[in-house]
Amino acid sequence: MMNQASEAWSEFKAMDELAGQASVIHRLHPLVKLLVTIVYIAAAVSFPKYNLSGLLVMVLYPVFVFQASLIPIRTCFRKMRVVLPLVCAVGLFNPFFDRAPLFMLGGLAVSGGVVSMLSLMMKGIFSLMASFLLIATTPIESLCQALRQMHVPKILVTLLLLTYRYISVLLEELSVMLDAYHLRAPGQKGIHVSAWGAFLGQLLLRSMDRASALYESMQLRGWSGAFYYVRGGRLTVTSLLYGVFWIALFLLARLVNLSQLLGTLLV
Amino acid sequence: MLEFEHVFFSYEKEQPILTDVSFKIAPGEQLGLIGANGTGKSTILKILLGLLPCTGGVRVGGLPVEKACLPQIRRKLGYVLQDSDNQMFMPTVYEDMIFAPLNYGLSRTEADARVDETLQQLALTHLKRRHNHKMSGGEKRMAAIATILALRPEALLMDEPSIALDPCNRRRLIHILRALPLTKIIASHDLDLILETCDRVLLLSGGRIAADGPASELLRDRALLEAHRLELPLCLSGCPEGR
Repeated sequence: MMNQASEAWSEFKAMDELAGQASVIHRLHPLVKLLVTIVYIAAAVSFPKYNLSGLLVMVLYPVFVFQASLIPIRTCFRKMRVVLPLVCAVGLFNPFFDRAPLFMLGGLAVSGGVVSMLSLMMKGIFSLMASFLLIATTPIESLCQALRQMHVPKILVTLLLLTYRYISVLLEELSVMLDAYHLRAPGQKGIHVSAWGAFLGQLLLRSMDRASALYESMQLRGWSGAFYYVRGGRLTVTSLLYGVFWIALFLLARLVNLSQLLGTLLV
Repeated sequence: MLEFEHVFFSYEKEQPILTDVSFKIAPGEQLGLIGANGTGKSTILKILLGLLPCTGGVRVGGLPVEKACLPQIRRKLGYVLQDSDNQMFMPTVYEDMIFAPLNYGLSRTEADARVDETLQQLALTHLKRRHNHKMSGGEKRMAAIATILALRPEALLMDEPSIALDPCNRRRLIHILRALPLTKIIASHDLDLILETCDRVLLLSGGRIAADGPASELLRDRALLEAHRLELPLCLSGCPEGR
């Protein structure tokens, strides 16, 4: 049976594998994907709290990307299982504070608090989905390259890249140490409190050692902080059209209630 | 090609790792670094690469190992680390192999060609798209060597290259090393590998060079080896496994 650190490490590596696939979305320019995600999140979170119908249109983007990138939606929800309840809990108390009825639904008064709670939950879920889709379709190096193209300081981008790589090193070392601990402490649940200090200290030292070895290995192969090794450096027409289309749609959805508009056209 | 002149090194003042070590390696020479644990084999490799500071003179291809010359020196030297997990930091073998050529200014087309050529040379084309974390220890080791050879170094430095290799892969590694027309320094406890791949051996003991001579002579000297906590290579000790 794998320990929790091993599972986390495997999931971490699985994200790398997802990002390394070759679907239409994966092949798009990383800067376009990053910009679309930023605009999407900004547009989604800026919807007024009672504008639930307007916000619903925003579901189109993640649905499209899930389909086009061939990433199963359950993978997203499985990976977000820890954060999702927290996001959903954000607006949990709104129904208690905002009790004024907003509209009637089949003879039942729906209060502003319930609508704003649902709206907050949807905003959180949409933002998480968009972030997940960005990292599941873009390798971390490409993402860093996109950040550099947005003139984010080199030091910050390098920090992000190395931190990302450091997490997997940390998890790997933690997994080895947990196995070694449990093999000599059978039946014990977790790490005994008396061993926490030594365990954490050793984990830090070991992962620092490995991280510096990795960094040395990068330096010895000519790395100086520049991302020469990233695929898809050139902006293609497809990427450009993709970006323009989605950004325009997000802005339109933000300015006009598309669900309502569609409803009046059809009814 | 590589020169060590009166080199001293210690992590702590009380315990010197290298004491007055001097030797030269000519271009194309293949040197085996042997010695018991903690005698400074890996330290010598790291000093050559400028990863550890030392006192004394160290030169690579005529350049002093100083901060200003490190980019040029590191382009000449390919270092295969003891632990392949530390060597392979990109998600796939291809991305790891293309890392150094692109960093050194090659175009993507040139770098791609170099990756393919190297993989073919090592008969590892099947590993090109593999994810690093899904390979066996032996595959990782061979892929790590490929990432370094893609750099086209003038000299190859290897730290325990046969660790994690099964007999078949170890044999392949020996064939590959023998076929590579490079200057090589191989630090290893695998004396059979040293005997088959190196023409000269430096025996380190107590931070000093205890012996320096042809591999075929030095590795047959049972008394000398045993005096420095080593044993004859298996193929010379009458042990059938080593043959």
